[in-house]
Amino acid sequence: MEGDGSDPEPPDAGEDSKSENGENAPIYCICRKPDINCFMIGCDNCNEWFHGDCIRITEKMAKAIREWYCRECREKDPKLEIRYRHKKSRERDSNERDGSEPRDEGGGRKRPAPDPDLQRRAGSGTGVGAMLARGSASPHKSSPQPLVATPSQHHQQQQQIKRSARMCGECEACRRTEDCGHCDFCRDMKKFGGPNKIRQKCRLRQCQLRARESYKYFPSSLSPVTPSESLPRPRRPLPTQQQPQPSQKLGRIREDEGAVASSAVKEPPEAMATPEPLSDEDLPLDPDLYQDFCAGAFDDHGLPWMSDTEESPFLDPALRKRAVKVKHVKRREKKSEKKKEERYKRHRQKQKHKDKWKHPERADSKDPASLPQCLGPGCVRPAQPGSKYCSDDCGMKLAANRIYEILPQRIQQWQQSPCIAEEHGKKLLERIRREQQSARTRLQEMERRFHELEAIILRAKQQAVREDEESNEGDSDDTDLQIFCVSCGHPINPRVALRHMERCYAKYESQTSFGSMYPTRIEGATRLFCDVYNPQSKTYCKRLQVLCPEHSRDPKVPADEVCGCPLVRDVFELTGDFCRLPKRQCNRHYCWEKLRRAEVDLERVRVWYKLDELFEQERNVRTAMTNRAGLLALMLHQTIQHDPLTTDLRSSADR
Amino acid sequence: MSEKPNYALKFTLVGHTDAVSSVKFSPNGEWLASSSADKVIIIWGAYDGKYEKTLYGHNLEISDVAWSSDSSRLVSASDDKTLKIWDVRSGKCLKTLKGHSNYVFCCNFNPPSNLIISGSFDESVKIWEVKTGKCLKTLSAHSDPVSAVHFNCSGSLIVSGSYDGVCRIWDAASGQCLKTLVDDDNLPISFVKFSPNGRYLLIATLDNTLKLWDYSRGRCLKTYTGHKNEKYCIFANFSVTGGKWIVSGSEDNLVYIWNLQTKEIVQKLQGHTDVVISAACHPTENIIASAALGNDKTIKLWKSNY
Repeated sequence: MEGDGSDPEPPDAGEDSKSENGENAPIYCICRKPDINCFMIGCDNCNEWFHGDCIRITEKMAKAIREWYCRECREKDPKLEIRYRHKKSRERDSNERDGSEPRDEGGGRKRPAPDPDLQRRAGSGTGVGAMLARGSASPHKSSPQPLVATPSQHHQQQQQIKRSARMCGECEACRRTEDCGHCDFCRDMKKFGGPNKIRQKCRLRQCQLRARESYKYFPSSLSPVTPSESLPRPRRPLPTQQQPQPSQKLGRIREDEGAVASSAVKEPPEAMATPEPLSDEDLPLDPDLYQDFCAGAFDDHGLPWMSDTEESPFLDPALRKRAVKVKHVKRREKKSEKKKEERYKRHRQKQKHKDKWKHPERADSKDPASLPQCLGPGCVRPAQPGSKYCSDDCGMKLAANRIYEILPQRIQQWQQSPCIAEEHGKKLLERIRREQQSARTRLQEMERRFHELEAIILRAKQQAVREDEESNEGDSDDTDLQIFCVSCGHPINPRVALRHMERCYAKYESQTSFGSMYPTRIEGATRLFCDVYNPQSKTYCKRLQVLCPEHSRDPKVPADEVCGCPLVRDVFELTGDFCRLPKRQCNRHYCWEKLRRAEVDLERVRVWYKLDELFEQERNVRTAMTNRAGLLALMLHQTIQHDPLTTDLRSSADR
Repeated sequence: MSEKPNYALKFTLVGHTDAVSSVKFSPNGEWLASSSADKVIIIWGAYDGKYEKTLYGHNLEISDVAWSSDSSRLVSASDDKTLKIWDVRSGKCLKTLKGHSNYVFCCNFNPPSNLIISGSFDESVKIWEVKTGKCLKTLSAHSDPVSAVHFNCSGSLIVSGSYDGVCRIWDAASGQCLKTLVDDDNLPISFVKFSPNGRYLLIATLDNTLKLWDYSRGRCLKTYTGHKNEKYCIFANFSVTGGKWIVSGSEDNLVYIWNLQTKEIVQKLQGHTDVVISAACHPTENIIASAALGNDKTIKLWKSNY
């Protein structure tokens, strides 16, 4: 089975393209159905596809299989045998068909062996893109450790080293079983204590035939090979096999003006580094290259993956995230992006490199004899190279003296004339103070209304239920018309329209999140925000508590509860009467308490926002006032007054 | 109306640690902004000369600074090839405008303050949108560094002057060049600006000359000389608050004031110890602010009674 890792193979329909449902859907398997949305396995001989369920092979089992032939083919041709992937233990080899668990090659293997063909055929409905991705990504998926070919004692299966797009399976490099531990790729591996940013096979194990030129090496002499540790290299999860996006609930996260919305649907777990390295320029081959790689000679220079931990653009989260999407699109796009990033990064590196060289030069040019005297008061020692002082103490002493001498006169200078900006600031503060005052009064007003409302609701509850005819008036003439629900779009009877729309809205709203990273901490505020913590997005729900459809369910209405909504005449005039219908039946005043409460709460929230805003303004003015004549400002700047009489250049006197 | 002003030195503002490149009064008259080679912009009170705040952010020397019409924003042009838009109240940089490929030399807002224009050593003039920070148009204006750009009072015309001796007038909306003014000798133009009524151009050339042009007719109306200007791009201004003067700095450390009509020098302000690179006139009061280069590093405020 040789995968070429580029185009997905569309499953051959063979002679089975009879369309049963008139849509030309190819049909597969022994069941002759066109269903492709489940796990499927393909026969390597006849190229027919079979559902895992129909032939009783689970995906798990398939992971262990390298070559598979359907029952028919095997019966027709006895030479065809199902071949499995190799592993160290032999027990499993004895079982061909049943539950061969994919061997856990040390913990942490998150996805099945990179068998591109099998994967491609296991069309588990992940779409062409994923297949493409897997196909293109497979090359550098590390292969399972090929075993040294010793014949098995249990059965005749030949120990074949897995072949793939990047492994011929036959060269010296492919036959190696252990990582050398010295080359740059090994040193990046977690098991050798690396940051796992480059994620390539050991240099000595890069297939001589099929691996990328820049990954290989030409050994002038082999370095000693250290036995590999038992820990395997952790694998990157395939995009399709990533944990599902943190729950559908967080599908949309909106932003609130006040609350800082979390930008955080968690970033998808590390997407795969793309198969193509940063640069598509193949590095010149050099017999000594391997030695250099081991010695880390390229650590500071332009090789993209040899950079500092912070500067690896093709691995930074943004680009990583991009990497997931980009893979499904054209490769070309990816390439140019990478090239740009790499160029930019190279430039940055060059800068750093330049800077690194600047300082050593300076230091070297000074020899002890030519060091200037330390500037500390009364100090006769030579200054440190690159500094003006011999020690921190001297520097501090000089600074203190400076302040003692200069500051008083600067303060005096400042106070000589009134500062106009200061006066403006004071007036502004006055105004802000007044507005804050009025905002607080409004807040109190709101609180009062809050309590009032609660009282009304309480009183309403105590009314007796009365079945009235009133409810039916005015509704009968609307039954012919149909209103369409704004949320779901279905036609509904206007009589129950209100009820339906409320429920419908709640249903959709509860699927989205609306939160901020900070819990509400306002003193003296009862029941404002919902503030339920969502551990997945690490946010606190910032909807009004009375309204939040996500976190509070409407309590069940007992049969005898009365609606109790205060009735009004002409919209505004309270009649003092209450709606006596049972709550369950009343269609006019559905959820009235909730809405009224929400109204009051919203007002209160608004006032809090206003207070917040004013507070912010005040803070700004105060900072400006302090910084204007702060220590730093006074020491660094000076305004010399030449005419003692003129302190203010405005021609009309103080405004 | 007196014939000569009596500007007297009132304040010296010390604070920059390197040459000051430009000073501008805010349109509301409250503040004075100064940009300098020490990569910062300092805001001073215009009436009392007191320090207000410092704006940090540029990586290299700043060549020019300009106010928006509502005095709430500043734009600065720097050698780091970017322009930055600042919010004065908070002191924060709102946007960084990238696009020039060489030092940005001059910048200005248009009267509605929704556009910024910049001239650069890369010989182009760029028009930027303030809100988004994007470059709307690039005018390949000249064949030498652009030394000055300015909008007229209505914002419909742009004038740009450059070292190649050519002064061009552009239509702001379409970017079309409407007129080209070339004087005989092709001397480098160091500064150009519209007059307050938008009908004349004040053009400074590096041959110690200031000229007032009627650009619609393409004629030079007045010439002002007596100062020294052969190396630097020195700002010049119309003073309209009292008598009608032309104010300019000079390389002989003096501020020159000419009578606009008679062209004679009415006053020379002495006090700086280095080239006076920039002189600004207050929008409502008879105040002049002047700034000097590296040997001096101070800004001086002068006031006159008329």
